[in-house]
Formats: sequence, C-alpha cells, structure tokens
Amino acid sequence: MSVVKKKILVANRGEIALRIIRAIQELGHLAVAVYETPDNEALHIRTADEAVWLGDGPRSDYLDIAKVIRAARKSGADAIHPGYGFLAENPDFATACEDAGIIFIGPPSQVINNLGDKVIARGIMADAGIPMVPGTSNLPAGDKGVDVAVEFAAKVGYPVMLKATAGGGGRGIRQVENESQLREEVSVARAEARAAFNNDNVYLEKVILDPKHVEVQVIADQDGCTVHLGTRDCSIQRRNQKLVEIAPSMIQDEKLLDDICATAVRAAKAAKYVNAGTVEFLVDRDYNYYFMEINTRVQVEHTVTEMVTGIDIVRTQIKLAMGKKLAFSQEDIQIRGHAIEMRVNAEDPQNNFMPEGGKTVSVYRSPGGYGVRLDGFVYQGYAIPEVYDSLLVKLTVHGFSWNETVDRLRRCLHNFVIVGPKTTIPFYLNLVNDPDFQKGDFTTSYLANHPRLMDYEDKDSEVGKLAHLIAEINFRKQNTYAI
Amino acid sequence: MERIVQGMDITEVLKTVRGGDGYYITNTARDLSQSDFKNRILLHTDLLAASARERANYFSLEITGGASIHVDILRKQVDPFLKLELLREKMPNTMFQTLCRGVNLFGYRPYPQNVIRLTVREFAKYVDVWRVFDFLNYIPNMEAVFEEVQKAGKILEPCICFSTGPEHTDAYYVSKVREIVAVTGTDILLCIKNHGGLGTPARIGRLVAAIRDTWPDMVIHYHGHNTDGNDIGRITAAVMNGARIVDAADHAFTGYYGPPPILSVVQALKEQGHDAIGVDEAAVIETSEVLRGERQHYEIFESQFKGFSPTVQIHKLPGGAMGSSFEQAVKGEFLDRMPEILHTELPRVQTELGNYWSVTPGSQILWTTAVSNVLTGDRYSNASGDLKNLLLGKYGPFPFYRPADWIYEKIFGVDWQRILEEEGGLEDIADVDITAERAELAKKLGHEPSEQELVIYLQHPNDAVEFYKFEARFGRAYVLPPSIFLRTGGFKLGETLKFKDHKGKEHVIEIGPEARDEEGIWNVYLNVDHHERVYQFQEEVAGTTAAAAVQLSREEIEELATIGDLRAPFAANVCEILAGEGQEVKKGDRLLIVEAMKMQTPIVSPMNGVVVSISVEVGKAVKIGDKLVLVKEPE
Repeated sequence: MSVVKKKILVANRGEIALRIIRAIQELGHLAVAVYETPDNEALHIRTADEAVWLGDGPRSDYLDIAKVIRAARKSGADAIHPGYGFLAENPDFATACEDAGIIFIGPPSQVINNLGDKVIARGIMADAGIPMVPGTSNLPAGDKGVDVAVEFAAKVGYPVMLKATAGGGGRGIRQVENESQLREEVSVARAEARAAFNNDNVYLEKVILDPKHVEVQVIADQDGCTVHLGTRDCSIQRRNQKLVEIAPSMIQDEKLLDDICATAVRAAKAAKYVNAGTVEFLVDRDYNYYFMEINTRVQVEHTVTEMVTGIDIVRTQIKLAMGKKLAFSQEDIQIRGHAIEMRVNAEDPQNNFMPEGGKTVSVYRSPGGYGVRLDGFVYQGYAIPEVYDSLLVKLTVHGFSWNETVDRLRRCLHNFVIVGPKTTIPFYLNLVNDPDFQKGDFTTSYLANHPRLMDYEDKDSEVGKLAHLIAEINFRKQNTYAI
Repeated sequence: MERIVQGMDITEVLKTVRGGDGYYITNTARDLSQSDFKNRILLHTDLLAASARERANYFSLEITGGASIHVDILRKQVDPFLKLELLREKMPNTMFQTLCRGVNLFGYRPYPQNVIRLTVREFAKYVDVWRVFDFLNYIPNMEAVFEEVQKAGKILEPCICFSTGPEHTDAYYVSKVREIVAVTGTDILLCIKNHGGLGTPARIGRLVAAIRDTWPDMVIHYHGHNTDGNDIGRITAAVMNGARIVDAADHAFTGYYGPPPILSVVQALKEQGHDAIGVDEAAVIETSEVLRGERQHYEIFESQFKGFSPTVQIHKLPGGAMGSSFEQAVKGEFLDRMPEILHTELPRVQTELGNYWSVTPGSQILWTTAVSNVLTGDRYSNASGDLKNLLLGKYGPFPFYRPADWIYEKIFGVDWQRILEEEGGLEDIADVDITAERAELAKKLGHEPSEQELVIYLQHPNDAVEFYKFEARFGRAYVLPPSIFLRTGGFKLGETLKFKDHKGKEHVIEIGPEARDEEGIWNVYLNVDHHERVYQFQEEVAGTTAAAAVQLSREEIEELATIGDLRAPFAANVCEILAGEGQEVKKGDRLLIVEAMKMQTPIVSPMNGVVVSISVEVGKAVKIGDKLVLVKEPE
C-alpha cells in the first residue's frame, strides 16, 4: 500500500525535532526542519529532508508565527508539528495554521485556547465533575482582588499558591505562607505575569503539601474516540521542572490508578480533546487526587509511555492529524514493565542546576543495549548554544520489573560519558542508589528531602586529572610544573 | 642487638652505637638529590628503591629537609608529609633523617619561634633523626629546634659546620661543641658537617680525634661531599679516628658534588679493619640495580659540567650550590667569568666577610656578592638585602671578625656606624598569629586546613597554595614515573604510558594526535583507559611571549635602568613590592625585591622621581629583561 507522500514541517529544535523527524520519515513522509543561526550545526537540520533558516534568533524566530508559517509555505509543507515549548501551546499559532490551510498536528486551536486559560479549563472540569484543587477564579483587579485572595486563603488554610493564569511549565507560580505575604505578593505576581506572559491575570489555589505528580497520557481521534495510555509519575523535579519521569506510577493501588485514568479520559472528553495530550493530577498523602491541567502537546516524557505500551505516540499524532481514526481501543493497550526517563541536562546540580551552555562536548560516549533508548541531539565536538534550554539527551530505559529497570538505568549512567559541560549524570547516579528511589517512593519534595543527592565529587576522575597533566606535558613539550 | 631500628630512643641508639664493633652508615639520598640533581629525584624513584634500602640496614635514610621540602611542593608536586608516610609504609624499620637549618628551618631566612616549634612538632611525627645546623655556628639560632626535637623524644644531631682557614682550628671547634653540649647535654649525636667536602683526610682525622679527646663517648656522625673526589679519604680518616656514623649514597646516582658511593666506603674501611655494622652489601648493590635505569630520566638536572672540582678547596661552594651556580652562569651568560668568580673573587669575599661557613643561606650571600662584584666591576656596589642583614648582625654575630669598615661604608654610606648601632643586632622576629594564618589559608583553600597544610603554608605561603591548587587540578601526580613526569620533547604518537594511581589502580594512557582548530585551540587527544579524551590548550599568541622576549643584554638592562625603566636583572620571583604607583621616591630607595637562587635582591630607584607604573605583582616569576618598574623624573 503506497502512502501519499506529505511534507511535514517541524517547528522546533533539539531532541524533540529529531524525534518528530524520525516519525515523519518512518511514515514515508518528508520532514522539513527550521532553524535559527545558533543552531546551524544542529543535528535536526542534517537529519531532515530539507531545512529552512528562520533568522538569527535566538528563540525569537522559533517563536515567530509568521516566519514559521512562511517557511511552511515556502517549503510546501502540508502539516506542522510544533513539538513542545516554543509555539506548541500557542492557540494563535494553531489558528494561523488553520487559516493558512496547513494541518496543525495537535488539538484544534479552540481546545488549546480553552485549556491554556486555567480559569476556563477549571470551569470545564468543574462542570464535568472532575476533582480539583480548591481555588479561586481570576482575582479581581486592585484591592478587591487582594481581599478575595485573603478570604479564600483563610478558608482553605496556608500555604496557598499564587498562579499566573497564562503561566505554565512551572513558570508564574509562587507559594505564599501567610496573610501579610499574600497582601504583598498579589501585585508583584501581577506585574511579573504581565511582563512574562503579557497577561496580568492571577488566581489562587490551595497548596497540596508534598504531593505526587501523576499524569495520564490520553489520545483522541477526531470522532471523539478517546483512550488513555496509563500513568506517569513526574514527581522528581527541580524548581517545578521535571527531571525524572517513570511509567507507570508506582502507587501500589491499581483501583486508584484506574480511577485516575478514567477521570483523565472524562476530562479530555469534556474538553473535546483531539490528538495526544496529558492530563496532570496531584495526589496528596491520603491518595486524594486533584486535576491540575491538560497539556495540549507531546510531552518531553512521552518516551516512557511509549516504552511500556509499545505505542509510538508521535506517529499516532501525525496519523490522527491526517484524519485517521485510532487504530487501537482501550482494551488493546497493555502496560508492560516499567520505564524510567532521565533528562541529561547540561547543568551543574551542585550549583542550583545552573546551565552549562556555551561549552563544547569534548567527549560523548553513550550507553546502549537491551531496553535502552536515547533521544538526544548532541555529538562529540558539539558546542552547546547558550541561548536554548539545557536538555542534551533523554535516557530512557525499560525493564520487566522495577528493580531490573533501576539496575539497567544505573548501568547506563555508569557508561555515560560526557566531558565538557557539567551534567546531571553524577546526580542521577546518586539518585539511583538512593533507597527511597529504589523503593519507588517519591513526591515533589524529593530533592528538598534528599539533600545528600548533591553530595558527589564533581571532579574529574583521578586518572582524568593525571591525563590532563600528561596532555599538558605533551603539548608544552615539558612539564612546566617540574622543570 | 646491633641493628638500629626506628622507634628506639636516644639512650638505646647511643648504647647500641657505642657498643657496636664498627661504624654505621647513613644513606643521604636527600643530599645526593640536592647536590647532583637539583633536588628533583622523585618520590616515585625513592619508592622503587625503598624495599632494597630497607634491607640494607642503614643507620638512617636522609630523605627530607634541606631545600627538599620546598622543592617537593614547588617542582615535584608532592606533599612532603605524604612522602614520608608512603616511604614509612615500605620502610618500617629504617630511621628517617632530616636536615634542618635551625632558625631558617627548611627555608632561607629566619622564622618566628612559634612557626619553628609548630613545624618541628609536625615533622617530628615522621622524622627520627634531626640534623640541625646554623651557617654561623651560632648556637642560640638552633635552640628552639633542639628543644622541640628533644621534647618529641626524637634523636637530636646538632652540627658543627666545618671549613678551613687560619681561624678554623680544632680548639675552636671543640669550644663550639662545648657550647652545644651546654645546651643539649651529651645525649646527642654530633655531626661534623663538611658541606663543601673541605680539608684533607688528615685534617678531618685530627678534628674527630680532638673532639673524642674531650668527649670520649661522643658519637660523631661525619657528613661530607665528594666535590674534590676525596671524601672517601676523609670518611676513612674520620672512622679511623673514632667517628661512628658516616654519610654516603647509592652508587647508581652518585655524581660529582654529593656524597660518595656507599659500597666504596664499606670496602675501603673493611681493609682497614672497620666494619659497616649491619650493612647488607647485596641489598646496597640491589638498590643501585633498581635505580640504574631511572637515572637517564634525570639527566636534564645533572650539572652541565662533568668532572670533580678539587678547586672547591679554594671557592668552598657547598655541594648543593655547585650545580645551580653553573646553571645560573649559563642562564645569566657569564660562564666565561666563572674562573674569576670561583677562584679569585669568592675566596676574597669569603675572607673579607669573616671567613664564616659557606652553607645555606650564607653560601648564597657569598656567591651573589662575588657574582655581583665581578659583573658590575664595582665591588660591593649592589649589596643584596641578605648581605646587609648579615653585616648588621641580624643572623647572628660574626664568628671570628667583623668585615672591614670600608665595606660597611661602601654599602651603608658614611653614616654606616650610626646605622649599625641603631639597626644592628640579632633580628627580633615576632611570632605570627597562627589562628589568623590558619583562617587565611582556609580562605585560600576553600576548606579548613590540616596542621600539615598549615605548616607548609607558614614556610612557603605562595608556593604551598599553588601546590594545593595543582593537586586539585592534576591529582596526585607523584604517582607518575620520571619517564612521564620529567619527559622533555613530548611523547611519541601512539606511545603507551602505564602507571598506578595513588589508590593502586592501574591505568593505561595512549598518546593520540594533536590538532589545532580554527580558533587556535589545540586539541590533544589521549586514550585514557580505553576511552578517548580531548584536552584543550590555548595556543600561545606569538608576539606576547616567545617573539617579544628578545632577550636584553646586561648592558641594555643597565642602560634602561639609568633612565628609570627598571628590568629584571635575572630570572627571579618578585617577593616584595615596596613602592606604589604615583609614589615619590628618592634615588636609592628600594622599589621592590626579587628573589632568585634563594637570594633577595633589591631593585632601587636610579633617581629622584615618581613611580609611573609597576608591571609585576608579588609572587610573579620574571625573566631576564622583563619590565618591573618605571620611574620618571618629576616634571
């Protein structure tokens, strides 16, 4: 059966661009990459069938709707996959695609718009009877807003979370501990939200202390047929950004997980969701769960779900966007074993995860073998641009049992050599050896409660140091420290 | 019970030595390294020799002290304490010996009392035999060390430094021993320290006999150098006259200026009916078999001038200073003046400055003064700070006579008598605030320093910190054999280097190619334990270093100095800056002090003027001709 060859533009960079290009090529379509100048040595350009330069950036051109649409037109693309970040959850971009007659691989713009506005989203979910963290609607402007906030906080108890309505991905959130702080922070949060998102709406939520972050991958076709691909636990985070994700959740209560998954499907249906999305929940200490939000994009951590279900989510996204129906039903989906993804970032965990951009990867030696998957884009000799995010490669491992998976992960981390930038690898090595991690027991406070994870010698190995001296003796033709 | 083992106290040691039928040998590995290899023999090599040396049954192994502690951290990149720990593991029985310069410890100028005491206490944990000397044979300069060594229960070996000349009589030396014994008691070893290898065998024999006449039970330890090729003669005479311990070294490494070969000493004396007690000749031979292959790696540190120097009897330079003086002559381009310096000027200066003992730091004062006198052509016109201090009696009184008035006048001006009266006398050095120094070091290291780190830091502040930084960057590099650590000319492509790290783990490094990228960064590829690694180095920009360093001649440097452009007169380290930019200075004012060859030399203003700029900072190494200070006449 021959396929109609389509051209699909990937409006992204880094590992996710590569991930999408691979799916496009596997489907027999042509992939079009876009890039900014700092990315002109990036692997996604070399892998795609063609590439269009957007501008010098940095970042601004990947975020420029008109330029991306123009690039799609110029290359004759039929569809655009936005990846994650950049324009992925921007309803204006989805609208622009729709207006230009280009298929947007993701939900319809209206769905993105509704779910992107947390207040609208909460309204939809409330109507559908989805359990939610108690919260306010958008706070009224001025002193009135402060009064509403104080009244709400008094009712649910401190701490409370002040959130920017347009925020996301961990940005625009701040925890407030008491009333006097709350009175100060409302206006500060507004100002920040205005600066960051050009929208100064903020609202308040009760803080669920020490929760687990559990999310459900859902997929829906254009007929409204909606299935879930099980849970993921993304509790291990730093500064509200995920580091490690596992599938399925390690909560040892199948009934609860089934409930959460069924609720996720209901939530997606209520939102008239189409394509792949993620329904995020918080699970508190008493195993109550609360809806947080629906992410209308492919997630960084989609790999773990793919590993345990065998379903290629990106391939499915493309097929659904092309008007295909879901090729599998809920009953066909089985969760096999466990998968763990670790985001290998160019960051210094010991220095508050400060990014290590601008450095050159002088050695890159990655692990492989049974049950190991790498989604990365760096190579030996690659200079990491300073202007983008710090993710270098996602290491995903799959195993039959949890222990086997952790063992595999440990083996891979030991064999993973990246020299040049500091990375999160030594921190992960501590993590896989931590008894709580080995038990599968973690919450969003995991890092705060396990300070010893930062306790590793972030130094070159002894032989590495001696080799450095030998290199110097060789280069200078004598040991200037001895002669 | 003839074997001397580590852990014996002084009473036991004395009893054993006195009761022994024969004499004992100290292996002076440290002195050999210092005299013939610029102190560069690595711990790696000493560890190779350790097992055979242990079995050779020496009285002691001199393996630390002298300049070695400084060179350990400066050029060998090894912690002097760790060195002793590692050697002790392989040599459980052999006593370790040090050479301590009294108030100057292991450095070049006097330290405060509390630094001396702390240093001795820390090293006494590792060092069994303490040989202590003062270059003026001034006993008070050694008292603090004496006390601490005895307090620590270690074996004290005070020295009388030996030299020749009309004043150097047996009676004089016996009186010196009397002064020592008055302070220490007779439970000591007494060293005759013949650092130059001076005098004839007969002269040494008479001296030993004279001391034994007064103290028949005194255990005398003879130390000499083989600079004239005749130390075996002197050793033989010493033993035949009653010396009970003598110094020699492993023949595979003996050279021209250090100690003579152990085996030759043993054989020479055996025929005379004196046995080297306990010495296992097979183990002595084995040591040199082990060491023989290593010597080639140290060739760059051996003296350029091969051959014994019997004229040492004229110039009296000690063994340790011979190699470095020739090196300095080559670098300073005055090799052609060496005969004049060594054979005419040095003996003249020696006599003029009181005929004291040419040993650290006094030998450096004599040498520098003689060099300066010859090169400037104007004797005593460019006195070093150390010479001034010597003349002012800051290191102690002159042993025989004070230098002539004209020298004082030449150096201090017409007002010299007043200066001598006001500033003269033993330098009173205030204790340092050890708590504050510890805090300062903690700040520099980023962690609370150990007592050992503190001790090294108190003696050599800049170099200690540099060493600890080196270790953080390059690891425990003392594990590298000399074939790697001292390699010149780089490695061969594909060459395989094998070594064990400090935890005993074996590593293999294969040398890969070097490649330069567009930005001028050199990538050096190595295969480290079967993993490729790349190390990057900045290419030195032509024009800033190599090309720009058109070496100025001495005349040019002097010429520039007259117009206020003061350049480094020789390769040196800047040790003090005394003037600030914009400061008004008078002709003759000291602007900064540079140090080379352990000697400080002031750089003085050539005119009344203003300091326009200072191009260096404290601790910086400068090459000959490098800019130091710019002074301008006022408008």
